[in-house]
Amino acid sequence: MSVGVVSQIASARPAIDQAAAPWRRVSLLTIGGTVLAGILIPWLLVRLPIGDYLVTLLILFFMQAVIAQSWNLIMGYGGIYSFAQVALFAVGGWTAAVLVSSLGWNPFVAVLFSPVIAVVAAVGIGLPTLRLRGVYVVLMTLAFHELARVFAVTGPRFISGGGYGLVNVPTFQFGNVIGEQRTIYLYYLAMVIFAIASFVIWRVIHSPLGMAVTALRDSETYAVSRGINQLRVRLILFAISAFFTGLAGGYMTHYNGGISTSVFDFPILIDLLAMIVIGGWGTFGGPILGAAIIIALDQYLVAIGDYRALFEGLIIAGIAVFAPQGMWPLIRNAYDRYLGPEPPARPTPESQRGGVPS
Amino acid sequence: MYDTQIVQAVWGGVLFGSVYGLMALGLTLVWGAVRLLNLAHGAIFIVGAYAAYWVVSSLHLPILVALPFGVLAAAVFAYAMHLVFIRPVIGKPGFDNATLVATVGISISVSAAALLIFNPEYKVVPPELTGSYIVAGVQINYQGLLVIGTSLALFAILYLFLTYTRYGMAIRAVSQQMEAASLMTIPVVQTYGLVIAISGGLAGLAGVLLSPLFFLNPQSGFNPMIQALIVTIFGGLGSVRGALVAGFVLGVFESFVEVFYGVAWALPGVFILIIVMLIVRPNGLFGIGEVRRL
Repeated sequence: MSVGVVSQIASARPAIDQAAAPWRRVSLLTIGGTVLAGILIPWLLVRLPIGDYLVTLLILFFMQAVIAQSWNLIMGYGGIYSFAQVALFAVGGWTAAVLVSSLGWNPFVAVLFSPVIAVVAAVGIGLPTLRLRGVYVVLMTLAFHELARVFAVTGPRFISGGGYGLVNVPTFQFGNVIGEQRTIYLYYLAMVIFAIASFVIWRVIHSPLGMAVTALRDSETYAVSRGINQLRVRLILFAISAFFTGLAGGYMTHYNGGISTSVFDFPILIDLLAMIVIGGWGTFGGPILGAAIIIALDQYLVAIGDYRALFEGLIIAGIAVFAPQGMWPLIRNAYDRYLGPEPPARPTPESQRGGVPS
Repeated sequence: MYDTQIVQAVWGGVLFGSVYGLMALGLTLVWGAVRLLNLAHGAIFIVGAYAAYWVVSSLHLPILVALPFGVLAAAVFAYAMHLVFIRPVIGKPGFDNATLVATVGISISVSAAALLIFNPEYKVVPPELTGSYIVAGVQINYQGLLVIGTSLALFAILYLFLTYTRYGMAIRAVSQQMEAASLMTIPVVQTYGLVIAISGGLAGLAGVLLSPLFFLNPQSGFNPMIQALIVTIFGGLGSVRGALVAGFVLGVFESFVEVFYGVAWALPGVFILIIVMLIVRPNGLFGIGEVRRL
């Protein structure tokens, strides 16, 4: 045993830690800076003439990003082509709306129940669906989407509101705060939801669970033969995804003051799909980036009206075929080059063998 | 009174069933041979229908001239889609993913384009045959009979084509073992194109034949496609025989639900049936699993 071997083992250890704790790859400075910027931005924006509007756009961005991220979790990482995302969003939204409008609960309390009911719904959808593969999943989840729509339109009056959805639900109230101040509080609430969702989804992706679903996606036979319980793993992932989707649904209901049956319209599903595909399918930051791109572009594309869907469709198809990784790798590479900490040294063949004494 | 309803339901069911079968035929063919879930099938459907509508309304030609034009337009469109979006990823690892998303994108674009070129109004495509007769108080129109006859004939033709012709054998060989087929000097990529064009032509034909019975608008491809997907899965993906049988079963089922419970429950009813069905028999009626297709 020489000193060299010991030092080799010691130098190998941080590499293992890094793989287990991926958050160490992001420097504290970046996280702190982002959080600080997130807190300060609304105060700066409201000084602009259209600042109020910009803050509401940011709120919209946070929520769309949460939904897109949780969809990407099952679609991109899990390889489960679930189109029930909007249905789960609606379940969350309707839960909050019914609790407030029929039972007279406080919106803040009602929102806490949205994710719970959404998870219950996800387990209900997932049990028959997640055993199946590919196309079957597409169809079954579309079926649930359609069933949810029909139920929302023709269901009992306290749910359907006469066919239009519950369009007159109390909004969030922060005491007597109104105007810009209220928008800022709403912004903080959305930001907290976004931050929690992003963090949890990030942790899930890098957890053994995330590994298991990615393995299932890439080679089901192999993953199952290594002892991964396919249904259980996918069901847990689906539930996590539904949790945040439902939470976003509850928030949006009390933010907009209602939820209408038009959430089931296809353009909404398409926008979400565009976010994932353009941002980067199966990457952590892709959906966030995609949500930002789509919402920003939307402000300009309103003018071109129907052409928007035309281009959106072509862009989705083009990126899916020619650049399946989307836009995220561009950002990722730039970050690694300019902002990220030094990448861990590539393990040499020596250290991989565990420094066998020579 | 009750008789009328039952005759109504059976007639509607057989009619819908044959149309679903026609749509499902194209889907199942592409799935079986290319392993491509073509979610743009509904878009190709409206391409055919709008092409026929354009020939009739702008060029003032009879619908019988427009029919082959619509079919051809749909087939050409499908082939172009294959050239641009499918061919580059054939044999690549992310094939399923890329084509699934790409076909969704294409169908978005097509309905947006249809909205821009022909406004969102409902268009009326004239029927190929007019006239009808009445059985037990139910109007049986000749167009409907034509649709049923055409789809049955097409099933027969396609079956013979796949079983006995060289091209049919090439398609089946590619669907069973792509590598082996290419070793036997079968041009795999051209075969893919052929299958996609045939499937597009079938969708276009369904579009032209069906539009007179319903109305045509930029969204009207969606429901037939979903129904066709259901039929395809119900019958077992990739099984031509399954598509035929499942088309009629589901058509009659939906029609009975519609007549006795109301139109709003037609699609949900079918969905509930398929959910139960997939739990009981995950491979469909004629489930042939992964081993043999077509």
